[in-house]
Amino acid sequence: MVPTPQLLMLTAYFGAILALVAAMLGLGYVLGQRHRTRATVQPFESGMIPVGNARIRFPAQFYLIAMFFVIFDLEAVFLYAWAVAAREVGWSGYVETLVFIAILVAALAYLWRIGALDWTPRRSRPPQRR
Amino acid sequence: MTSADTIDPAPPALHALARRFGEASFTRQPTCDGIPTVWSTAGNFRDLLRFLKSEADPPYRMLFDLFAIDERLRTHRDGQPRSDFTIVYHLMSFAAGGGDIRIKVPLVGDTPSLPTITDLWPNANWYEREAWDMFGVVFSGHPHLRRILLPPWWEGHPLRKDYPARATEIGLFSLDEEKTRAEEEAMHFRPEDWGLERHSGTTDFLFLNLGPNHPSVHGVFRIILQLEGEEIIDAVPDIGFHHRAAEKMGERQSWHTYIPYTDRVDYLGGVMNNFPYVMAVERLAGIEVPDRAKVIRIMLAELFRIASHLVFYGTMTQDLGQLSPVFYMFTDRERVFEIMEAICGFRMHPAWFRIGGVAADLPQGWDRMIRDFLDYLPRRLDEYDRLAMRNRLFQARTRGVGDYTLDDALEWGVTGPGLRACGLAWDYRKQRPYGGYDQFEFDIPTATHGDCYDRIAVHVEEMRQSLRIIRQCLEHMPAGPYKSRHPLATPPIKDYTMHDIETLITHFLNVSWGPVIPPGEAAVAIEATKGINAYHLVADGDTMSYRTRIRTPSFPHLQMIPLICRGALVADLIAVIGSIDFVMADVDR
Amino acid sequence: MRWSLIKAETAPQPAAVRPEGGSFADAVRRNLVLGKLQDLVAWGQKYSIWPFNFGLSCCYVEMATAFTSKYDIARFGSEVLRATPRESDLIVISGTVFIKMAPVIKWLYDQMLEPRWVISMGSCANSGGMYDVYSVVQGVDSFLPVDVYVPGCPPRPDALLEGLVLLQNAVGSDRRPLSWVVGPQGVERAPRPSLRDLKREERRRQTELRPPDTV
Repeated sequence: MVPTPQLLMLTAYFGAILALVAAMLGLGYVLGQRHRTRATVQPFESGMIPVGNARIRFPAQFYLIAMFFVIFDLEAVFLYAWAVAAREVGWSGYVETLVFIAILVAALAYLWRIGALDWTPRRSRPPQRR
Repeated sequence: MTSADTIDPAPPALHALARRFGEASFTRQPTCDGIPTVWSTAGNFRDLLRFLKSEADPPYRMLFDLFAIDERLRTHRDGQPRSDFTIVYHLMSFAAGGGDIRIKVPLVGDTPSLPTITDLWPNANWYEREAWDMFGVVFSGHPHLRRILLPPWWEGHPLRKDYPARATEIGLFSLDEEKTRAEEEAMHFRPEDWGLERHSGTTDFLFLNLGPNHPSVHGVFRIILQLEGEEIIDAVPDIGFHHRAAEKMGERQSWHTYIPYTDRVDYLGGVMNNFPYVMAVERLAGIEVPDRAKVIRIMLAELFRIASHLVFYGTMTQDLGQLSPVFYMFTDRERVFEIMEAICGFRMHPAWFRIGGVAADLPQGWDRMIRDFLDYLPRRLDEYDRLAMRNRLFQARTRGVGDYTLDDALEWGVTGPGLRACGLAWDYRKQRPYGGYDQFEFDIPTATHGDCYDRIAVHVEEMRQSLRIIRQCLEHMPAGPYKSRHPLATPPIKDYTMHDIETLITHFLNVSWGPVIPPGEAAVAIEATKGINAYHLVADGDTMSYRTRIRTPSFPHLQMIPLICRGALVADLIAVIGSIDFVMADVDR
Repeated sequence: MRWSLIKAETAPQPAAVRPEGGSFADAVRRNLVLGKLQDLVAWGQKYSIWPFNFGLSCCYVEMATAFTSKYDIARFGSEVLRATPRESDLIVISGTVFIKMAPVIKWLYDQMLEPRWVISMGSCANSGGMYDVYSVVQGVDSFLPVDVYVPGCPPRPDALLEGLVLLQNAVGSDRRPLSWVVGPQGVERAPRPSLRDLKREERRRQTELRPPDTV
């Protein structure tokens, strides 16, 4: 099968990108001077040796925030999918979407009430929450 | 040589001490600065201090200073108990009619030790560490007695009289890769040394070095943060990266040649740093400064207060993310420096004050420059109000952040704008007027909450009050000599030297060898740009000081940072560090 | 801020433009820059020296003043201040070098990537200055290779900018290896003359000094 002109152009474009990136990385690797001491490869921490590394157990709130984002983001994705087919599914589809949103809003209200979205540190919280 | 010291009538506190502990529990020492000084013993000084802090009337609530003196080479010590190392506790009271008091404890032998007072005053922690570092005094019961101003691997105690002062006496400095690595390892933070846990039940803590090289820590200041996520659980400040041995230098420079070293203690303060030092020397020598010199001093000091506060303001807004105002404020600072250069000859470190007055008279045309500046700055300050103080983001980041109560402030030795932001109208220029400030009319700005916003607001209002004082200096500058005619004023005014040989000889000796200040002890404090700055000078009848103790305001302020920032976010810590207004040279000297 | 607008009609006219030359050589000269690769690289390096946000002491305040509007280091190409050593070209040792801080400075210098330069600013960094004491290193050149020394205590921002210009001239005439893989290695440094010698004649001619009695 003879490749179409568009396919050839796309391949050429793709090849040009690869060549450009390779040239940038390659020239950056090859050019200039080098030196290497013990300090050069250490992470920069204001001139001091860091304590431990960053692969530690982070507090769960970071994970939770990521999870909540994923959930509500997927909700938005489903709403986009409904929006594309809104006319076809008609009023019943609209009511089902409202139910979907209402369930998630209830979940959001629950999270808000229990303080899962609270990022304020202990010190600044109002006294009853400390 | 007759001493300059006198004994004043005893304040009520000494009577109360005598009633409570008996007349024999302490002996009085005359000094020239009007601060009652008593010698106690290592056995009962803690009881005396506790009594003075809580039961005396008025109570001496703040531990102002704690330092040591190496008395082994001192010759003029008549009437004082035998001592090789003296620990001095300087307490301050804030009640009307109250003053300061000094308790001295004599220690004998080469390895002095006495109990700690960190349970009485929490800010004694760093002062005692410094006394250990510099003198080798062991404070039993101290939670973390380790070096503070010198690297952990240092040997010896530098402020002892048998320790060499010069770097050229110690040997050539070299730094190869092995030594770099070894020293970095020595400064590596080990949480176990400070009693910090590495992890809680469910999470690990991240120990972050907000290290000596960081744009937000304003100098070479290292603070190690124990972080849970973004919240600070605890913080450990590490200072000493800026230790320039100003106190040891005082023992090697004559009274006159030490003045440039004082300039560089608070490097934004310029002549404000000369002020307490020359006043202390003048107190020892008994020199009365003429009025014109006093007003010139006040005018230049207030100009430097404005310059220092402009840097504070600019870097504070920069830390909070407003990157433009700092450029405007540094431009205003250039105006101040133009005036400084015209009057004093140099921008940042003029070293313009002399023992007995100032170095030279004001040039003709100075009033026009000051008037232009006074017309120029108020509008700019109003503009910065709109840019910064009324900006909602600025307020959200500073209101309620880093607040402490007045009791905390007094316990931790906070002075200056940080104390006034808590509600106490305590300004040394009003409460203990010095150098002519009682003739000037100005207000003391205070605030109520003691948070970052209030500290900044106090600084801004202080700038306006300084402008008021400068305007009064401009309009009422007295005529007269710019330096006293006292024989110990250094260098003396030259006209008499052209006529008689005695004055010429005195002039030559004073400038080359140094003025011989009579023996005595004096401490003079002023309201410097960052808080109360005090110089305690011990004179031994020599051309050099025997002991120069510089009590700087930023030293106790930094000690307080862990208290303020526990439980706050890292971004709040940056706001707090900016609002405390310190320079590292002021902390480490 | 006070603003003013210049209207186009009242603005001063620019100088008359040179008439078209017409020849090919003229066109080439006006539109093409020809030079050796080394010179072009050195030109690029010298006009974009990015300083490291590093300061020790009082000289740092004067360095910061050099960054602000009145002295404006940005017009020399040092537009960007980098807070991490890996992205910066120049470290200005501004202030006293303390023994406790010396290993930190060396650590940061090692973390900088080539090409990198050092300006020693102020008397304390040059030689220990007036601090001949136990806790101060007598000159940063005891452990760092310094390119330019700027004297002063602290040097005026103008002096720092002159030091930067000197560094730029030196960087423009140094020959650095183009690649660590091929070509001659090692930096060929142009001579860095002492400005004391260069300025001596001009200074000798200054016999009229203004007295400080008037402003």
